[in-house]
Amino acid sequence: MATNHRPVNLLQTPPPGFAVSRPKVGCWGDTEPLFPPPANEVSVGGVATKWRRGRREVTVAGRLIHLRAMSPILTLNDIEVLFGNVPVVASASCVVESGQCLGIQGPNGSGKTTLLRVMATLLKPTSGKGFILDADLATPQVDEVRRRIGLSGHLPALSDHLTLRENLEFVARISDRSQTRVIEVLEMVGLAGAADRFAERCSHGMRKRADLARLFMTEPDLLLLDEPHAGLDSSATPLVAALVHRTIQKGGAAVLVSHDPTTMVDLADQHMTLRTGVLSQ
Amino acid sequence: MTKVRVLMALAAIAAGLGLYLAISAPPEAVQRTYARILHIHAPSAWLAFLAFFVTAFGSIMWRIRRKEFWDRLAASSAEIGVLFTAIALATGMIWGKPVWGVFFDWGDARMATTAIMLLVYLGYLALRRATPDPQLRAARASVLGIVAVVQVPLVYFSVNLVRTLHQTQTIRPEGSPIHPAMLRALLVNLAAFTLIYLALLAGRMVVGRLEEKAETEVAPVAGAAVLPPRLDGAIDV
Amino acid sequence: MTTHAFEIARHDLMVERRAKETLTVVVPFGLAALIALPMAIGVDLPLISRIGPAAYWSTALLFGMQIAWRQSVADTGPNRDLITLLGVSPVSRFWGRTAASAVLLIAFMLLLGVAAILLFSPELPLTPWLLLIILTFGLGLAMISTLAADITSGLSGRAPLASVLVVPLALPLLVGAAQAVESLTRGSGILAWLLMLVAVEIVLAVAGTLAARPLEEAVR
Repeated sequence: MATNHRPVNLLQTPPPGFAVSRPKVGCWGDTEPLFPPPANEVSVGGVATKWRRGRREVTVAGRLIHLRAMSPILTLNDIEVLFGNVPVVASASCVVESGQCLGIQGPNGSGKTTLLRVMATLLKPTSGKGFILDADLATPQVDEVRRRIGLSGHLPALSDHLTLRENLEFVARISDRSQTRVIEVLEMVGLAGAADRFAERCSHGMRKRADLARLFMTEPDLLLLDEPHAGLDSSATPLVAALVHRTIQKGGAAVLVSHDPTTMVDLADQHMTLRTGVLSQ
Repeated sequence: MTKVRVLMALAAIAAGLGLYLAISAPPEAVQRTYARILHIHAPSAWLAFLAFFVTAFGSIMWRIRRKEFWDRLAASSAEIGVLFTAIALATGMIWGKPVWGVFFDWGDARMATTAIMLLVYLGYLALRRATPDPQLRAARASVLGIVAVVQVPLVYFSVNLVRTLHQTQTIRPEGSPIHPAMLRALLVNLAAFTLIYLALLAGRMVVGRLEEKAETEVAPVAGAAVLPPRLDGAIDV
Repeated sequence: MTTHAFEIARHDLMVERRAKETLTVVVPFGLAALIALPMAIGVDLPLISRIGPAAYWSTALLFGMQIAWRQSVADTGPNRDLITLLGVSPVSRFWGRTAASAVLLIAFMLLLGVAAILLFSPELPLTPWLLLIILTFGLGLAMISTLAADITSGLSGRAPLASVLVVPLALPLLVGAAQAVESLTRGSGILAWLLMLVAVEIVLAVAGTLAARPLEEAVR
């Protein structure tokens, strides 16, 4: 261990994105997933630091201190999306940390859904860089993280000719979830009584609830919700909050997009606005 | 444009020379003057094969490089390939009627596979026309452009695999079975048609670049067109 | 990957069991085409008998390919996104869709075959080889049709455009199957035609597998 570094005042507020963990001398502890270090290195009180396995190592008074980086779940850097020659998203940059919920508000046609699809790795941006759950958006790595992403769009993803139960059972089989979980989540969203109704015979609100049930079942690490409250009645609206809180408590993150900021004010701890394709605070 | 003009001039000269040699070559022993259509038919077929190989090459390069140039190359070459496949089929049918007695011999592997190849590449062009978004168009067409080229060697070697009416290759490594004067005319016409292909390709690429420029001039941001509604006086409250 | 492909196939077949699109739309349409042809010929029974197999294979091709782009399993945006985000690879998706289409196609062709025998009274030896030819043709057509459905996904005028792509690519299958049956009728060997069919299937299998991911990226 090096002993010739200047001491750092541990009472100082750690720089943004860092949390001071208990000192563990010479021990790297658990194996958290790596996150690529940000381009701008942060200097902690002028003390020489170095990256090792995604953590900053600082030696203070002969003792090794680990500053554990809170891993961003999602990082977008100057993302641009063009459809042909039409820019739909002109410039979008944001960071969503583990345990955070980002609310993006914007009027019709501002590019909210398109941006959400980029975050879901369903759409490659025309330019810009991004990392989703440690995977570079521009590489095939994204395949490995897709299972950890949950998206609920404008239209629920259901096969019309199958019942709500069958739709969820299909998801359960593909995602290696227990079949017993299907009825549990249907009960959670208040659709246990309609489990054997064909999806095409369900109202939009019921289909939306079934979509949320799917997300309760798959428990994604990154939750993406597009107009989450649209179509839900007042009794079902708390489902969205429950889903967001559950995701965050498990160390995941959530991104909500809506044209109505009032629906997100209690849920999101970060708010941004998307207007004519530009994402801003 | 200068490059296109130079190529066209060279092609015109070569085509003129080829035409002269084709007309002045001795008539074929059995087919007489009808055989002279060989000097258009064979080079057209050769061009079609070349064009579709270039389409496949452009498609592969687009997948690797993702540059519009390669997609433009693939599309331009496919259009020319379709044109010359149609010419090869048409001249083949004109030649076939007096010589074989039928315009189209359904039992002939070369004719049938060439007709299929034409349809596949017509489908390629139809796919391109039906896809308005340039990125999606390039992505989907590149897949079809790579898959479809498998047919080209099939068409070329069909005469060796199934022996029917159509003759086998005229130009072979071990030597050609036709008269040297005819061979000379054929080779000159092959060169002329290759120059015609290059000239048409260069010209089509220029046009394609202009089309792309018009298509990709960046428009206003999509969301800028959406404004808050104006209901002044529209509703009586 | 195999499990995912199996689940996709199972899902598609479950949907078809409910929607019955193949049974209620494609089969009647195919039968109608099979009936229209001898009506156009008139009362020339020997001629009708001779063209029976040709009419069967043409109808199987032209109408069977519609099975791959039946409305009930048309990939809507949300459903396609769901499959992608469940971690199903595009190759699994291709093979799952192909397997389901192949099952339905083969069932369609067997029904059509019974109708063709009754309507055309062809001179045909009913041997197990016929079943093998139908299975091979059905699988090949399912692969081409699924590939064409993916290439034309989301485009307006999708059905006619997909047909334009499928028909020329499927003609070698048509020729191979028809000639194999012709050889069976004459009592000569069908090995060469079967090998041709197998060769075409291998090319299609490779093309479909390699094209699956690029086509997935080509959908918004």
